[in-house]
Amino acid sequence: MDDRFIEAFFNEYTIPMDLLLMIGLICFFKLPKELRANVHYWLPLLIVVLSVLFQNVGFYTNYNYEFKKSVNAFLGNTQYPQFNLWLFNITDKQIGVLLFLGLIRIWLAPSKRIYITWMMYIFVVAIVFLQLSGIELMYLHQPIIFALGANMILVGCGLYFIGMITQEEYLDSNPLKLVSFWQMTFIMFTFSLSYISSVALFYLYKVNPVLGESLQTIGDIMSLVTLGILTLSVASPHISRIFEKEPSYESN
Amino acid sequence: MNPTEDQIYVIIFATLFLGGIMSTFVISMVFIHRQRQTQNRQKMDQVKSEHEKTLLNIENEIQQETLTHIGRELHDNIGQLLSLAKLNFGSIKPEKQAEGKEILAQAIQEVRGLSKQLNLDWVESISINEFISQQLERIHATGFCETSLAADFELIDLPKDQKLVLIRVIQESLNNAIKHASPDQIKIRIYENGKGKQILIKDDGKGFDASQESTGSGMFNLKKRMETIGGGFNLTSAVGKGTEITLTLPN
Repeated sequence: MDDRFIEAFFNEYTIPMDLLLMIGLICFFKLPKELRANVHYWLPLLIVVLSVLFQNVGFYTNYNYEFKKSVNAFLGNTQYPQFNLWLFNITDKQIGVLLFLGLIRIWLAPSKRIYITWMMYIFVVAIVFLQLSGIELMYLHQPIIFALGANMILVGCGLYFIGMITQEEYLDSNPLKLVSFWQMTFIMFTFSLSYISSVALFYLYKVNPVLGESLQTIGDIMSLVTLGILTLSVASPHISRIFEKEPSYESN
Repeated sequence: MNPTEDQIYVIIFATLFLGGIMSTFVISMVFIHRQRQTQNRQKMDQVKSEHEKTLLNIENEIQQETLTHIGRELHDNIGQLLSLAKLNFGSIKPEKQAEGKEILAQAIQEVRGLSKQLNLDWVESISINEFISQQLERIHATGFCETSLAADFELIDLPKDQKLVLIRVIQESLNNAIKHASPDQIKIRIYENGKGKQILIKDDGKGFDASQESTGSGMFNLKKRMETIGGGFNLTSAVGKGTEITLTLPN
């Protein structure tokens, strides 16, 4: 193992992430079979797995420059061969947003779920249109797609909080002891705190890369915290003293 | 400060501002949740106390009704039997004496039957079908009108509070029919449909305009009572076309 490999895969960001994935997987496989089949547990784990996987692939692309360059060339990007934005655009900004919308959807009352379903359809149509029309290229920064996805997630979180103060099932419980409350809070914080830096990412890297990187770090830390909360959701049946049972809208 | 620095400050402050807004939003939501939780609990306590009050009223009304019935029975039935027994015992003929004993035994039997009705324990031992049968038999025995009961199933295992409310509502509906409708026939049907288990009380009496407030207030009370146990009350009536009351049982 050379030094560059160690630097790429064993840093302050990947180590906690990989640990969270391992804890998540262990907790998930220790769950009873019926809980493993429950979307409230497998979906958070899927988001953790996907996030950790694409982050590691991202670090691999930084380690293996030739691979990154060849993918960029395949996508038509010869101007910025050092970029691996294509990977983050597809996984984090597109599939990730859809998975987060799906996660928000399962915590909403059945009557409100239709709004999220429509948001997901609109988002898919918008990303296909924006990329095929060339308005936002897959290998470059995609502020419109990010803004669209982040706004949809913020609206979804808003719907959850409205449900929390209006639905009788939620009024009977203590929100601070609900996994769903912490999930929604941290998803909302992650997307709102990284909103400006993500939309102005290109500008910041050109004008003030140090500040750009600092603001990006806030987003990275928030993503780690969100992954932590998602792992905690998977582990919640093992620590039932801390978390209350989620109000039963209906399972799945 | 050059324009680039300005833009950077805008980005920093906009990020902090968004973070602040989100924090305020979440904290406000938790506070609103707490307030609503308290209000909801107060509301639930109020509903519970109203429910208990309604049940108490119903128990009182049933006891009142029972006492009236017992009074009538003592006067019209047991009083008559005892008078007859007295007459028979006054006779020197042995067969009259024996007949007097039989009448006395019958009177004792009637008194035992009545004594059982003095507390509300009978409510627990009787099914709704049995109660309706007894009520209809009693109406029929007076010769007031024809009655019939058709039940698709036996309504048993109902909680006591639901049973009390149902008994009172059925009793009151029948009383209203007798007092105000002068029907030739009262029919009761127990069945189940998509809405759940239902009891239909139908008479062919003179009916009334259900939209009028003066006639609707008693019905409103019955409806409210059914709602306290999670059931439903529906009345349809028109002048000259009889009255139909549908009681939907709680699930």
